[in-house]
Amino acid sequence: MIKIQNLHAEIDGNDILKGIDLKIDPGKVHAIMGPNGSGKSTLSYVLAGREEYDVTQGDILFNGESILEMAPEERAAAGLFLAFQYPVEIPGVQMTTFLKTALNAVRTERGEDELDAIDFLKLMKKTCADLGINDEMMKRAVNSGFSGGEKKRNEVLQMAMLQPKFAVLDETDSGLDIDALKIVADGVNKLRAEDRSFLVITHYQRLLDYIEPDVVHVLADGKIIKTGGPELAKELEAKGYGDILKDAA
Amino acid sequence: MQLDQLPTPKSERWKFTNLPSALKKLEISPAALGWGGDVALLNKDAPGAAQYQDTQLWDLNSEHTQDIKFISADETLEISAQDGQWLSPRIIVHVKSGEELTLIENQSGQGAYWKNQVVQIVLEPNAKLNHYRFIGETEKGVFTTFTHIKIARDARYEALNVISGAGLVRNQIYADIDGENADCTLNGVNLLSGTQHADTTITIEHQAPHCISNQVYKNVVTDSARGVFQGKVHVHRPAQKTDGYQLSNTLLLSDLAEMDTKPELEIYADDVKCSHGATTGQLDEDPLFYLRARGIPENTARALLIEAFLGEALERVSDETIQTRAREIISDWLKEHA
Repeated sequence: MIKIQNLHAEIDGNDILKGIDLKIDPGKVHAIMGPNGSGKSTLSYVLAGREEYDVTQGDILFNGESILEMAPEERAAAGLFLAFQYPVEIPGVQMTTFLKTALNAVRTERGEDELDAIDFLKLMKKTCADLGINDEMMKRAVNSGFSGGEKKRNEVLQMAMLQPKFAVLDETDSGLDIDALKIVADGVNKLRAEDRSFLVITHYQRLLDYIEPDVVHVLADGKIIKTGGPELAKELEAKGYGDILKDAA
Repeated sequence: MQLDQLPTPKSERWKFTNLPSALKKLEISPAALGWGGDVALLNKDAPGAAQYQDTQLWDLNSEHTQDIKFISADETLEISAQDGQWLSPRIIVHVKSGEELTLIENQSGQGAYWKNQVVQIVLEPNAKLNHYRFIGETEKGVFTTFTHIKIARDARYEALNVISGAGLVRNQIYADIDGENADCTLNGVNLLSGTQHADTTITIEHQAPHCISNQVYKNVVTDSARGVFQGKVHVHRPAQKTDGYQLSNTLLLSDLAEMDTKPELEIYADDVKCSHGATTGQLDEDPLFYLRARGIPENTARALLIEAFLGEALERVSDETIQTRAREIISDWLKEHA
């Protein structure tokens, strides 16, 4: 599904990613854990195609094809999705307009017919209902004045509408209390499927109690220094990052 | 035409707009729209003569006008110049006590021309005027318009000015609020591209207590176009409890685009609420990336964000068909320029 090979990336001349190798098979959930400043968010931005970051070496293959030259919207159409750590507030753009524009742009790129207003609304209402989201939220401007929990639920809603093949969740747990976390994790779990992979980026093990990963990686100073099963996350939680970083050094 | 009768950038209120230089390039001669009208009825006294000394265009209009229109009921005016014309339309609006009317101006032209327009408006107590102006001039068209509004007690003036085409535009608005509880709401959308130049210069004289003035101007400037916004709120000593608000936000879409903004508050009353905000910047990268990451192509994403930015200038427009028309103009403009 996704193959990251010796990925190096920098921003403003600072090396952040220093050789990442990672392969995720269809249907699998991988977690990346790491201390602050290890490059977690950079990795998510580089995957989604943010232009401020320069990839200096290596490649990202999505279903066997390099996506490095693709614009963010082309990656989204190809089936990549980034759930933002900090979803952006966009006053003046209504949720419904935003979702309909996004969905139809992606459908067009995928060679599917655009949805008309009625079919779109039906799908939106159904998706909201499935995820336990009040569709009154759809009348508001994108993320404007949303609570932390609403913003993260909105990310999951967008994911459910766009039906990606590969989703990156960037610190989806940050700023959430336990109830909100459960709702968001529940939404993600509903989307788990044999042909859909996830990369869950987090600082804390907590989220992984609710979204159980198949593989856990530890990222430090721009490199993956350790890979293991779900038990690795528990070990990190118990011991903190200190020991593992020391072992790796 | 005598160029020496024209205001030049040497005068403070014309610092950013060089009218003589724009007119020098035109071959024009006095012409008429065919409205007719009796020149003897004109009020020739230009407002602000003593204080601002910015009355040359008003005087020139008084001297040359052959087109006088009296408005006392709803009306849509098509004001279109032909190539080579120098027009001096004069529009006189009188709204009687307790009445409401809507005046729509569609400003356009062909080739190179100069329209030097004056609009004189009197609102009697508790009257309301909705005044909507759509400016779509040619790239060699020069349009100067001086609107004076006298607003009495409990009267309301609501305006929307949309500029989507210009060679050079000077949109000068002068509101005298001289009765209590009056409201003057000015909204503007300026969409400038190519080498267009549009200057909005506003003076609001708060002479009476408990009045409200609102100015919300949104500008998008691209290519090597240039926008100017000068807004002055002058609160005289008797005008206690004035609520004055002025906003001018500009998005620059190219490196050569330029915006000059000069907000001014002059306040002599001691119990007022006045504020202004002026920003000039580029489209934010964060929302743009967010939209693109959801599959929305860059041009569409930019257009969505610019429409959202401009939307605030339409919120206070009470006529929905006018809002819709403005949105269509914006959307057409963005197809070409976003």
